[in-house]
This record gives sequence, structure tokens and C-alpha cells, in this order.
Amino acid sequence: MKANPSYLQEFTKGILKENPVLVTMLGMCPVLGVTAFIVNGVGMGLAATAVLIASNLVISLLRNFIPPQVRIPCFIVVIATFVTIIEMLLKAFQPVLYEALGVFVPLIVVNCIILGRAEAFASKNNPLRSVLDGVGSGIGFTLALLLLSSVREIIGQGTILGPDPDTVIHLFGANFEPMTLFAQPSGAFIALGLLLAGVNAVFKRFNIK
Amino acid sequence: MREILKLSITLTIVGLVSAALLTGVNNITAPIIADRQEAEYREALELYFPEVVSFENQRLEDDYFDLIFDSSDRLIGVMATIEQQGYDGTITYNLALDGEGKVVGMLIISHTETPGIGDVITTADFQEQFIGKSLKDPLLPGEDVDIVTGATISTSAMITSIRRVVSVVAESFLGHETGAVDITAVPDGIYQGSAPGLSGPILVEVEVSGGVVTRIDVLDHDETPTYFIESYPLIPELIIAEQSFDVDTKTGATLSAKGIVEAVQAALAAALEANGGGE
Repeated sequence: MKANPSYLQEFTKGILKENPVLVTMLGMCPVLGVTAFIVNGVGMGLAATAVLIASNLVISLLRNFIPPQVRIPCFIVVIATFVTIIEMLLKAFQPVLYEALGVFVPLIVVNCIILGRAEAFASKNNPLRSVLDGVGSGIGFTLALLLLSSVREIIGQGTILGPDPDTVIHLFGANFEPMTLFAQPSGAFIALGLLLAGVNAVFKRFNIK
Repeated sequence: MREILKLSITLTIVGLVSAALLTGVNNITAPIIADRQEAEYREALELYFPEVVSFENQRLEDDYFDLIFDSSDRLIGVMATIEQQGYDGTITYNLALDGEGKVVGMLIISHTETPGIGDVITTADFQEQFIGKSLKDPLLPGEDVDIVTGATISTSAMITSIRRVVSVVAESFLGHETGAVDITAVPDGIYQGSAPGLSGPILVEVEVSGGVVTRIDVLDHDETPTYFIESYPLIPELIIAEQSFDVDTKTGATLSAKGIVEAVQAALAAALEANGGGE
């Protein structure tokens, strides 16, 4: 390993340089699946972030206790435990979001971002660094979901803060005919592709590597 | 050996701690979840049945029904919870019917129809056409309710399902008993009647002689021929053999079979009424 990077770098690398969605392309399944609405995308991002921080912390604390031969099953159990806890909490306190996220909440267990960070980072670094890494990657993931879901909801539905009828805002008036393609799964791929192209162009322009 | 023991113990400890944590959180959240679901459901009930005091669950095959009672224990309505296959996955919805079997409201609980196309079933425009409909209405596409172009499968699935639920509720809970027609009281003669099948009305001719149904012919129908043979002539034969409308309609063409039974009933009910003997 190189000289230890500063704590600030541990935090920021997950947001820009190693953004899980936009750069390393991990966890694509929920990224494409839940981003039809901004609320769902951000909710998914925050739920995954919470799991990521908690599992990074616990795995970092246990890193000397868990024998390397069984580390993967242990990581999975830790992650699955936190995901189930989050799932129960969402169901109890945020039922609307729980319904909207559907099957993608249990699927956080196999979200490769979380297992990836556990295996590649938390199992080799101290708890403080691991938590910072978790917060950074989580924010990066949430930001990417926010970007993609904004594009998809505004173009695909013509609204923001939907689908809850109490909060939904129609941006272009009632007669606006949205491009429903972007609300559908195929539109998710197209929007993601365009977004990646845009982000790559920006990264190149400002020499972020 | 020591190595294996160490690995096993590690895994066991991790598993036990995890199980303990989950049990704890579940104990805290389970009652909250149950309370909230019940409160939400009660709220929905009160929206359609303001006088609701108590309700009672019933299950018929795959459908759940809640019978709604008011303060004097009178049945004031039925709330059905139905799962229906749509275009893409299951549509779960509530259908609220009043004491006379009229639809007073519907609510799509969950669906996975195509956004922007099949999700038209959640709109007020589509749902309002069912309000006030009952067993007496045909509930057929193009007659009193409309399918939505572009979302034909989603909307016609809902129409078929609602037609079925309305008749199940009327027959099972509201005493619109299908066997209420007393065959032996029908005077001799030849009668015609019709009732909706799967894709249009089925017209039957019934001959009664000496208080016994002796002949049932289907004169006209729009059912799919390859399926209709599953119900005809089997169902008329069953009715004649048992002299009852309580025959097993679970054939390869259940809706057609029910249509035939209902058409025969309609014919005989009309005959009784014309004779002044209808109770």
C-alpha cells in the first residue's frame, strides 16, 4: 500500500474519483431499477448508504477477529443483518418509500458496492477510515441516483417529488405530454448512458482522474 | 481440526449475534407495522363505509372479503381484496361494494403495469366508470364500461375481474342467491334468457315441463369456440341432471359456464315473474 491518504481523501474519493456508479459501475441493478422517481432514487441511495456505513464500521472492527477463509460469509451475514434491520425500520416508519423500493431493499444485500467496499477497504483499514469511506461512497452513490432519477422523472413524467399525489409538482402544467420512454426500464439504460457520457466529458475537461 | 473448529465457532458467533439483533428490532417494529397497516385499512374502510363498526374476514378461494357491519350488526357492505393477473404481473386492488352490491369505490393497492400505459388503471377516469355498477349491469367492454386503447390487456383484465367480484359478492354475501329460482314453480313452457359470458352475452332457450328443466339450448354466443366446448353441452347436462343451478362451473371455460348458468336462471326468473309467482 502507498502512504496513507489523508482522511479527507478517504471521504471524497467515493464521491468523485471512485464514484461507485459513474466511475466504477457497481450496483447497476438498483440504479436502473428504482430511478423512475427522484424520491425513490434518493431513498434507495440513503438506505444503501446507511447499510454501507454500518457494515463498513462493523467489518472494520471485526477485521482481526474474522479468519480470512470465512470472511465472505461473515461479511454477507453482517450486511444482510443491517439490510433486514433497515427493511423493518422502513416498513414501520416509511411505508410509502418501502412500497416504492420494493424488492430492491432486500437486494441491497448483494449490492456489489457494499460487499466491494467491505472486501476491498473495510477489511484492511481502521474503523474511522472505513466509516469515512462508507460515507463518501454512500454519498457518491446517492448523488448518482439523484442525478439519474432527476433526468428520468423530469423528462419521463414531467414532475418532481412524485409519485405521491400530496407532494407531486407538475413542472410543465397539466397538458404536458411526457416522454414516457424515460420512465421505462429501457429509458433507464439510455439515460444512464447519456449521463455517463456527460460525466466523462466533464471529468476529462477538468482533468479529474 | 482446530482450524475447522475456529472457523465454525466464528461463523456461529456471527450468526447468533445477527439473529439476536434481528429479533430485537423485529420485536420493536412488528407491532408498529401491524398497527399502521390496520389503521390504514380502517381509514380506507371508513372512507367508503362511514358507519363501519366491525368487520369480519372471509376467504373464498383466492379472494379475501371483509364483511362490514354497522352498530346494529347490519351488513352494510363488503370490501374485497383481489389479486388479478394484469399485463405484467399481479394487480392487487380493493373493491368496495355497498349492501345492495353496488360498487362504491376501488383502490389499486399495487401493480406493475407499464408506466404511462397500463397504469391508466389507477386513474380516476378509468375507475369512476365502475361506481354505482352492480350485478344488474352487464359490466362489459363497449356496453357500460370502456377499455382504454393502448392498455387493452390491463384494462380488460380489470373489467373482467370486477365483473367476477361483483357477482361473487352478490351471490355469496348479499343473498342474491343463485339457487333462489324455484324450478318446480315454473309453469310449463319454453323460455329465453341471456347473461354475460367472457366476451359477450350468451342467449339460451330453456324448456320446462312438469316443474323439471328438460332441455337447454344455447342459441347465440360470442365465446371462443375452442374453449366454449368445455362448457357446452356439459353445463346444460349438469343442470338438467341435478335440477339445480349449483353446478360445478370450474371448467376450462369458467366464465362461459357461469354465463350459461346465469342465462338459464334469468330465463326462469323472468318466467316466474311473468306468471306473478316471483317471490
